[in-house]
Amino acid sequence: MEFKEKTLANGLAIIGEVNKSAKSAAVGFFVRTGSRDETEQVNGVSHFLEHMLFKGTEKLGALEVNEAFDRTGAQYNAFTSEENTVFYAAVLPEYLAEVTGLWIELMRPALREEDFNIEKNVIKEEIAMYKDVPSFDVMDRCRRLHFEAHPCGNSVLGSETSINGLTAEQMRNYFVRRYAPNNMVLACAGNFEWEQICSVVEEGCGNWQVQDAGRKLESFGGSKKRDRLEKANLSLEHICLMSAGVSAQDSRRFAGALLAEIIGDDVGSRFFWELVDKALAETATMQFGAMDGTGAFYSYIRCGRENVVSVLDTVRAIFQKLAEKGINEDELRKAKNKILSALVLKNELPMGRLVDLGSNWVYLKQYRTVAEDISAIKAVTVDDVHSLIEELNPGDFTQFSIGPAQSG
Amino acid sequence: MATVERLDRHILSNGLVVVGEPMDTVESAAFDFMLPSGASVVPEGCCGAANVIADWILRGAGDKDNRQLGDALDGLGLHRACAINSSHITVGAALEAGNLAEALKLYADVILKPRLEQDQFGPARQLAVDGVLAVDDDPRQKVMLKLREHFYPSPLGRSPVGDIEELKTLTAEKTRQIIKDHFNTSETIFAVAGKYDFNAIAGQMEELFDVERRKPLRPATVGAKANKYTHINNDGAQVHIGLMTGTVKPSNENYYNARVAVSILSGGMSARLFTEVREKRGLCYAIGARYHGLKEAAGIMCYAGTTPDKAQETLEVIMAEFKRLGEGISEQELERAKIGLKSALILQSESSSSRASGIGGDYYILGRVRSLDEIKKRIEGTSVDSVLGFLRSHKFENFTVVTIGPEEVNIS
Repeated sequence: MEFKEKTLANGLAIIGEVNKSAKSAAVGFFVRTGSRDETEQVNGVSHFLEHMLFKGTEKLGALEVNEAFDRTGAQYNAFTSEENTVFYAAVLPEYLAEVTGLWIELMRPALREEDFNIEKNVIKEEIAMYKDVPSFDVMDRCRRLHFEAHPCGNSVLGSETSINGLTAEQMRNYFVRRYAPNNMVLACAGNFEWEQICSVVEEGCGNWQVQDAGRKLESFGGSKKRDRLEKANLSLEHICLMSAGVSAQDSRRFAGALLAEIIGDDVGSRFFWELVDKALAETATMQFGAMDGTGAFYSYIRCGRENVVSVLDTVRAIFQKLAEKGINEDELRKAKNKILSALVLKNELPMGRLVDLGSNWVYLKQYRTVAEDISAIKAVTVDDVHSLIEELNPGDFTQFSIGPAQSG
Repeated sequence: MATVERLDRHILSNGLVVVGEPMDTVESAAFDFMLPSGASVVPEGCCGAANVIADWILRGAGDKDNRQLGDALDGLGLHRACAINSSHITVGAALEAGNLAEALKLYADVILKPRLEQDQFGPARQLAVDGVLAVDDDPRQKVMLKLREHFYPSPLGRSPVGDIEELKTLTAEKTRQIIKDHFNTSETIFAVAGKYDFNAIAGQMEELFDVERRKPLRPATVGAKANKYTHINNDGAQVHIGLMTGTVKPSNENYYNARVAVSILSGGMSARLFTEVREKRGLCYAIGARYHGLKEAAGIMCYAGTTPDKAQETLEVIMAEFKRLGEGISEQELERAKIGLKSALILQSESSSSRASGIGGDYYILGRVRSLDEIKKRIEGTSVDSVLGFLRSHKFENFTVVTIGPEEVNIS
């Protein structure tokens, strides 16, 4: 495993972890932009823009782009979150340079009006599709309720209204500001030739212009409000809980991940034994999401309408016990084992490795080996987790539910 | 990269099959126990029993009660996996290779000595009932389950999730009997991939599964297919469309021609469905088709989700693309389909979990494990002529369609 790094004069960072024994290689552009960087008028533009990059450049039409990727056999796609837009591909080693070249071309898209108008329909279909997925819908609504006016509450997809109102011109302006070389990282992992990739990137990206692509960073503890939406076609109650967490830059993020594992891993956690094992809830999980300058714990619980009261009583009791008695050595040990094996499994694949490699650079401007992450997780103590519980008080949460009509 | 592929195989005297694929670049191992008690195999009137069983057997086994067993599994840091399909309940895990032997001991107890305590049955059954309700809340998933149910002759497509009414009448006694009848070690397949010592595993399996050979299970009697079109009303945002048409089974000589044909239809983003339905017309966000094969039958299943006013057009464009495929394909399309399939194969081969399920599935369906090399050669062996020849002799004419949403579509 060998780490390589280079930053071009315009600020574009190129990083790579070479693993000659891998059968594949992965490449990704990490653009530091997402829904938190949007105003209300253009909400959804980051995600819509991610779609538009596949529509081609001045030289390439959309169909040609798709054909060019498919000729390499790449598994490729992109995703947008509250704060990152990531374009990635996993390929056989001999195709990495070609696919990297293609992504570089696409990072300077044509953003044609006619493509914009057709893709608007696709975006609205995506919004409609997720309305029919209550586990997604409840998280999206809870995030808004939790973050209130803080930009991390912005919906990634936007609303039908914001998408209808969005113009290609607004998108072009947003693109120029956000897809600047100093706001992007190109990462590679797996079996590839570093020098070859570097020269492809230097040649393709060297003339990109620096922009002032800032981001307002404010931590936010959450509104702690409660709300519920009724949907007649649902059978179960879908509940999302959110509370404050630590940021991606905070060294306590490892303790945060362990705390979420102890409370809400899908098996063997406190939620599991108290809610799922007893069949009070069909699903009950908690995750920790470390973000830029802030963070949050998210829980998702799905249960029968008749169990809502006892589920929420049980959740409160779990958090109260956590605040009073903390965690024990044995559950911390088990949580560590589970997180460590997940980390090893994920990083065995170049595509899995790419995500950690790129994220560490985006958030920390730092290369971290898998071994360093393993040590950091192993080093977390019961006391570290206790201080986190005391400071963040995860039992003090925002709550949003979606479910069928309340009976009686 | 001249690596020699090795496939390991050992058959216990009672018939239990052990297959393995060693991987020298990983620190993990993954294993699957394929138990011949899937959704179509359980008796009539017990739809969902496989789900209850998969939960109940993990609620205590051997000398460990529910909590002790859960803690022991968690202590090994393993990532449990459980899947129920038409033929099998598959339980397994991915973990750090050093913990493999310990994990196998625990799983041997789960399979041979589950406690099946009465007080643990209620929660296991309740979770299965709630699982059915959870699918009711997720039309994307539900439409594909209903599609399989209606496409395959009964009981092959029976829902792996379950049926609420049948689950409500399922008793602990009945479920114990199903486990007794169907946990047949003589028809169980154990698949392992990753970092392991095969001699040690084979030896340990001999020791752990030292039970007598049993008579083979009777295959399910295959009945009739359901109707051609089914609509389920749901006041949601989209009409979720599932469409399926028959094709050759994995054991058929035309299997690779079928896989290439599906890839031309819906492999990458340049494939026909994505291009015609999404790129040119903006009808859908999610659109795709894939091959779905059982030992007894196979089909190509397609999903599209779209708002009600576009549902009819979406369905018509999809069906037209299925029918148009046999009219001609280009060399470039064929090449893209082939490289896509080969590349996916190699990328998956880096994951121990994917390989374990791949070799286990092969052994069940084909009676042997195909090497990656063999699959690659067979994909390379297809041509425009072979794929067209196949499409012309196996026309896509009959479609089973299921929709869930606020409006029906017209099937003509």
